[in-house]
Amino acid sequence: MTLFHFGNCFALAYFPYFITYKCSGLSEYNAFWRCVQAGATYLFVQLCKMLFLATFFPTWEGGAGVYDFVGEFMKATVDLADLLGLHLVMSRNAGKGEYKIMVAAMGWATAELVMSRFLPLWVGARGIEFDWKYIQMSFDSNISLVHYIAMAAVVWMFTRYDLPKSFRLPVTVLLTLCVYKAFLMELFIHVFMLGSWTVLLVKAVLTGVISLCTLFLFVTLVHSN
Amino acid sequence: MFEEASEVFDNMFKSSFPLTFIVFIPAVLILVSPLPAEAAHEFTVYRMQQYDLQGQPYGTRNAILNTEARTVEAEVLSRRCVVMRLADFSYDKYQKALRQSAGAVVIILPKNMSAMPQDIVQQFMELEPEMLATETVVPVYFALEDDELLSIYSQTLTSSSSQGSLSAAEVLLHTATANGFQMVTSGAQSKAVSDWVITSLEGRLAGVGGEDLPTIVVVAHYDSFGVAPWLSYGADSNGSGVSMLLELARLFSKLYTYKRTHAAYNLLFFVSGGGKFNYQGTKRWLEDNLDHTDSSLLQDNVAFVLCLDTLGSGDSIYLHVSKPPKEGTPQYALLKELETVVASQHPEARFSMVHKKINLADDMLAWEHERFGIRRLPAFTLSHLPSHRSARRSSIMDVRSVSPSSHHGAGEPPAGPHVDVSKLSRNTKVVAEALARVIYNLTEKGAPGDLQIFTEQMVQEEHLSAVVDWLTAQPRAAQLVDKDSSFVSTLEYHLGRYLKDVKRHYVKADKRDPEFVFYDQLKQTMNAYRVKPAIFDLLLAVCIAAYLGMMYLAIQNFAVLYSVVRRITQPKTKVH
Repeated sequence: MTLFHFGNCFALAYFPYFITYKCSGLSEYNAFWRCVQAGATYLFVQLCKMLFLATFFPTWEGGAGVYDFVGEFMKATVDLADLLGLHLVMSRNAGKGEYKIMVAAMGWATAELVMSRFLPLWVGARGIEFDWKYIQMSFDSNISLVHYIAMAAVVWMFTRYDLPKSFRLPVTVLLTLCVYKAFLMELFIHVFMLGSWTVLLVKAVLTGVISLCTLFLFVTLVHSN
Repeated sequence: MFEEASEVFDNMFKSSFPLTFIVFIPAVLILVSPLPAEAAHEFTVYRMQQYDLQGQPYGTRNAILNTEARTVEAEVLSRRCVVMRLADFSYDKYQKALRQSAGAVVIILPKNMSAMPQDIVQQFMELEPEMLATETVVPVYFALEDDELLSIYSQTLTSSSSQGSLSAAEVLLHTATANGFQMVTSGAQSKAVSDWVITSLEGRLAGVGGEDLPTIVVVAHYDSFGVAPWLSYGADSNGSGVSMLLELARLFSKLYTYKRTHAAYNLLFFVSGGGKFNYQGTKRWLEDNLDHTDSSLLQDNVAFVLCLDTLGSGDSIYLHVSKPPKEGTPQYALLKELETVVASQHPEARFSMVHKKINLADDMLAWEHERFGIRRLPAFTLSHLPSHRSARRSSIMDVRSVSPSSHHGAGEPPAGPHVDVSKLSRNTKVVAEALARVIYNLTEKGAPGDLQIFTEQMVQEEHLSAVVDWLTAQPRAAQLVDKDSSFVSTLEYHLGRYLKDVKRHYVKADKRDPEFVFYDQLKQTMNAYRVKPAIFDLLLAVCIAAYLGMMYLAIQNFAVLYSVVRRITQPKTKVH
């Protein structure tokens, strides 16, 4: 159960990152150090967000079953800082659009994997007790990878000066969707009382839709010039 | 990528030394940190008795357990924890588990034990002493059931009973979906408690008129016994005896405050500990008073010793004697008074004398009066049980009350041990009246048989009920009542309200040849962890490998998706 299960979950979580890094051609550009820098920016941005949340947002005093929609909405708004962070990373990297996006997204997503998933997996999946949530966590990290790539692409598109007017609206919509995806997921869980596997499915579908739209817009933008 | 990574790490090491610490020390700490426990279910379990009495070991010898759970129906039981419910418990199943060298046994008791059907209660009560008599190496635990535990039990039952009867494919599917449970206790191995002190309490009411007054001793032991110490509440045996003793103390102290009713008898009340372990408290008290002290009430003129043991229900009262009393002695007077009082005032009760000689060859003495009899003091025991071998004296089923749903008929009393306060108060009245008639010599003075000394208000049923409730609120096994426990101090205070010279008496086992040895680790927290078999891990690894393979192919061929999207969007740009 113990270390083997941890190995399973770790492989499930980490291998797609590894494969993506290999196959996207980043290795030819010596992008490892830049990815690490992107990861460091992720850490910094998370720290700032936490400080901000702790300082300005009061603790929720209501009952256990009631969901504080407004409060959670405000908290999700703070996730705009993620976008700023991604923009910062991408602006510091010179190169083609795809290169920038991939570097930023890989670094960001890997940092998130290490910070928020590695420790629970190490501590929990190694224990005697078996729980499906570790496998679900690993799947979730795969979905996050796709999500961050889409988010980085949208941010990049948003900051392009040659973005056609007709694209402004869909890009903005996608941007807000990306930021509030977590909030939307919480809403779904609360309203529909979804089970954990269903939640994963919904998350995957949502991320898939977002990334597909982003892909369409990106291709149109890049190849319209 | 690994070359780049190593380059980066090299730079990191060369440039800033503290950075390596920041990176490596947490990593090392995390690697060596112990795993915190996160169980599917955590519950309290109570271990079966473990003690040595006069060198003979009894009960279970082990406390640690870390094995997988199975029920009795499973084929392989060795080194597994066998989980049974009380409703399905039988001695054969228990023996079967022990024969197949099971790792442990856990018996799940219903929350409301008094709601169980009578035959199961009876059967279990009879099995308790047998379970203790066979010295078991495996730990035996009792747990009170709750919903989680029941669900764990039913899951274990389904997986145990379906072993060995399915095809290979079904077994494979079964392993993927079923939950196994690993039972782990958190405590250490049990060891003997050194210097355990058994406390007893005595108090007296001095008689009036002269030095050499006769003494009447009233004795009751306060500890309880059952197959698990933490679950033995001993309502009838001997909570009823203690509450009757306290009530008698109260009544006679009231009488002794007034000069007119102050009698010429000394009354000595003794609440003894260690009663269920061959009356250790009484034994040492007698030794101290008769052998080691110069003057004691016990040495001079003892009229008789009345031991109270299990008087809380039933309609019979038995006076157990080791020698039938001779005519003209105070013991004979008490016997006669008891007969008179029962016949005239409480005809629904039946009173009789039971004669049993003291058999010194037995491991355990029968009743408490035998201790006094061995020291040549005239003594008898009052009980509603006809025989000392009754299982009701040492059962965990002996609780305060039994729910009405388990009655056999509409008006019939339940068969399990319990305390019926109306019967207890009637028995108290009988004893009080008989004692009063002896002390004040009423029969010689010509008082009729149905003269009631104590009227209705004097023997208070609510008071008795409250005392029994307090006694049964906590388990009173001898291993659990420490000399500093609140139970002993409350009892001391209570006695002190009515009696003078309330003293504690301590018994410690002899160092070289201990009469009793108690062991610890009687209450533990057990964790039930959900586990999956090893095959499941392999299955999962195969599935994950397949998924990763698909991922790899998808990412490799991402360019295909890209070109498809490009082709879809190209007509749009052409239209532009």
